Amino acid sequence: MKHVQLSLPKALTRFTQRGIVVVLAIATTLALAAGCKSKPSTPAKFVFANTSNYDTMDPHQAFDVGRVAVRLNLYDGLYRWHDNPPKIEPWLAESYTVSPDGLTWTFKLKQGSKFHDGSEVTADDVVYSTERIFGVGKGAASLFTRMLSPGSTKAVDKYTVQFTLSKPSAIFLSIVPEVHVVNSKLVKEHVKDGDWGAAWLSENDAGSGSYMLTKYDPAVGWTATRFADHFYGWGDKFIPEIEFRTVSEINTRVLGMINGDYHGTDGYLPQDQVKRLKETETVKVLEQESMRIFMFQLHNQRAPTSDVHVRRAISYAFDYDGFIKNILGGSAERNPVPIPNNMWGVPKDVTGYTYDLEKAKAELAMAKSKPKRSLTIGVLTGYAQTEQAATLLQNGLRQIGVESKIESFPWPVIVGNMSKPETSPDISIYWISTYYADPNNWIGEMFHSGGWGTFKSSSFYKNPKVDDLLDKALKTTNQEERAAAYADAARIVYNDAGGVWVYNTKWFGPFAKNVEGMRFSPVGEAQEIRWMYFQ
Amino acid sequence: MKTSLFVLRKLMEDRVAFLGLLLILGLVFCAVFAPWLATYPGDVWDLHPVNRLLPPDGQFLFGTDRMGSDIYSRILFGARITILVAVIAVGASLIIGVPIGLVAGYYHNWFSDLLMRVSDIFLAVPQVVLAIAIAQTLGPSLPNVILALSVTYWPWFTRLVYAETRSLQNEIFIESSIALGASPWRVIVYHILPNVSSPIIVRTSIGMGFTILTAATLGFLGLGAPPPTPEWGRMISESREYLPQAWWYAAAPGMAIFLVVMGFNLLGDGLRDILDPRIRRGQKDDG
Repeated sequence: MKHVQLSLPKALTRFTQRGIVVVLAIATTLALAAGCKSKPSTPAKFVFANTSNYDTMDPHQAFDVGRVAVRLNLYDGLYRWHDNPPKIEPWLAESYTVSPDGLTWTFKLKQGSKFHDGSEVTADDVVYSTERIFGVGKGAASLFTRMLSPGSTKAVDKYTVQFTLSKPSAIFLSIVPEVHVVNSKLVKEHVKDGDWGAAWLSENDAGSGSYMLTKYDPAVGWTATRFADHFYGWGDKFIPEIEFRTVSEINTRVLGMINGDYHGTDGYLPQDQVKRLKETETVKVLEQESMRIFMFQLHNQRAPTSDVHVRRAISYAFDYDGFIKNILGGSAERNPVPIPNNMWGVPKDVTGYTYDLEKAKAELAMAKSKPKRSLTIGVLTGYAQTEQAATLLQNGLRQIGVESKIESFPWPVIVGNMSKPETSPDISIYWISTYYADPNNWIGEMFHSGGWGTFKSSSFYKNPKVDDLLDKALKTTNQEERAAAYADAARIVYNDAGGVWVYNTKWFGPFAKNVEGMRFSPVGEAQEIRWMYFQ
Repeated sequence: MKTSLFVLRKLMEDRVAFLGLLLILGLVFCAVFAPWLATYPGDVWDLHPVNRLLPPDGQFLFGTDRMGSDIYSRILFGARITILVAVIAVGASLIIGVPIGLVAGYYHNWFSDLLMRVSDIFLAVPQVVLAIAIAQTLGPSLPNVILALSVTYWPWFTRLVYAETRSLQNEIFIESSIALGASPWRVIVYHILPNVSSPIIVRTSIGMGFTILTAATLGFLGLGAPPPTPEWGRMISESREYLPQAWWYAAAPGMAIFLVVMGFNLLGDGLRDILDPRIRRGQKDDG
């Protein structure tokens, strides 16, 4: 009986409540829209809308493009990559020498470089930072362990650092920029249980970079203010404050650019959105050849993708043209091997697998381990293109009788899964960008069995011949020999269908029209803000 | 039989409720005859990148999506998923919620208090939030969505049935059947349950709409069925990237959800009017 009397007024109030909510929502939207328009045209703060979230601020824990802004803006390395095609330039160091056997590398530091707390950057800090990379064991660690062991770096004097390699490496200088120098005194104060200060540094700043961290929230992003005493010095034009905000929604990023809330965002938006931004008066879109391969990593250790015929069948089952021409609007270029087309070492005779379901079926018929179970295709949450590629691949696979299911993971989660063969998906779809401009950045790290555990090597490929070629390519500094070795390795991996390589990307960097001075490099993708200024 | 005929006749008279019924019948019709109604029945799976993001025309009634599939055909097949999710989730909630409500309402002891406190815990957290948490933990898939919805919706039935049972207990016919020596089981099943069935039916109808909306929310958040399932919430989620240019991409599934949820709500309101004559809507008071 009771509920009867209550129902009518309740329903009425609910109705009025809803009305109020709607009115409020409209009012808020209008207020927000009005607020956006009244913004001053030259703000003091540069806001970058980033797709991935900044789950750590530690320069030695992350080694990817999603979080590269932390390393480029808050920290400095001995050398740094700039411009396109990428060139390596002295940064904290002024020069280096190599011994004739290629094992001893001596770097001379610039004098008077300062950390954010005012103390000087010395050789001891470089040594500590190098040891810390090994100690923390994440990020670029696996790359350094192949040529350098802990304890083999020493400070000769206050401004001289010496690295003694365990074997000659042609890429050592290329990856030296990843030795981001941390303030050793400051970090040591915050070490807990021998963690190399990892807990503290993941949310604090101990760098010498162009900007100093002022605020950090893993859910929102971070803000930093200009470090006036930066060793490189400043011109009269610069941006005093920067913010890197996590905005995972593409439409929010694009609308924010159009409204002027953001001054920059990632350069790999879908073409429909790039077009929309190009049509906006307050936005400009810079275009650059980049080096960023889009690929499907195939699990080479687990059946059925451990069978070369199954992998070839998968390679024949993807509609490359449909994807590149229609879905990407022709904004990318087919890239048939695991080295970007515009890098040296590419075997030019390889034209790539085509979309051919008959050949795919024929390959499948030859396979010893037939795909009976449903294959898992791992895609990245927030990167719709990976999901679209997955649906297209799934469609092709279905037509040759292979079932698959698509699973979506946030980037840090899939990186964790890909660190072990047991947890890695059968097929993982993502990009490998430029971390240093050398073929080793792609094929070397993707297909050398010594690199298992990093996100780049989630194919868990193992072939002694390829390992030998890749090792050989690192031993000599003669680029011709190196190029030949990489080309040979690429041909073998290609024949083995060790993975599926789809395209190499162009970069379409959206910026607010009044921002000037961007320096694009495939390494870092124009996220080093110190060169920019508002007109 | 007589009652259902009476209800149906009353529904025909109530134009708004009848519209609701028509909408639901339309949904069922679409779901059942999807393969025949669809212009491109293969497009649940098939992709045609060349036809990507085409606006609605004679060939593609609701336009095409980001992979070049026909949105109209996909929406028809999506109706099947919608019905599946709503029926199983609400059905499971009924099976869990109603008996608990009856038992907790009939008995006055610590156990019935315990049952109600447990249902209070579920009601304390907004259903969507709880469903997101469950679906996220179990991983995105259709069965998990159904599970999450069932687990979070049953307390609504429990609350309702509990309150009804408590108020019925004081009625003379219940007291007399107890006095005649009827077992608690008999009293609950033969005397209380039929008398609480009306509010349960009303709640079920409204709950269907509510569940469809929540399922779409989960799909939108990427917690539902994986692509390329033509789930409506997922379709809207996919379309975000192409707004506002490809307006049809979001509008078509959005409209479908809107119509179906409205259908269940209108029907629910109409059923309440008919089954519970004590609370008619204002304009009906004279009739």
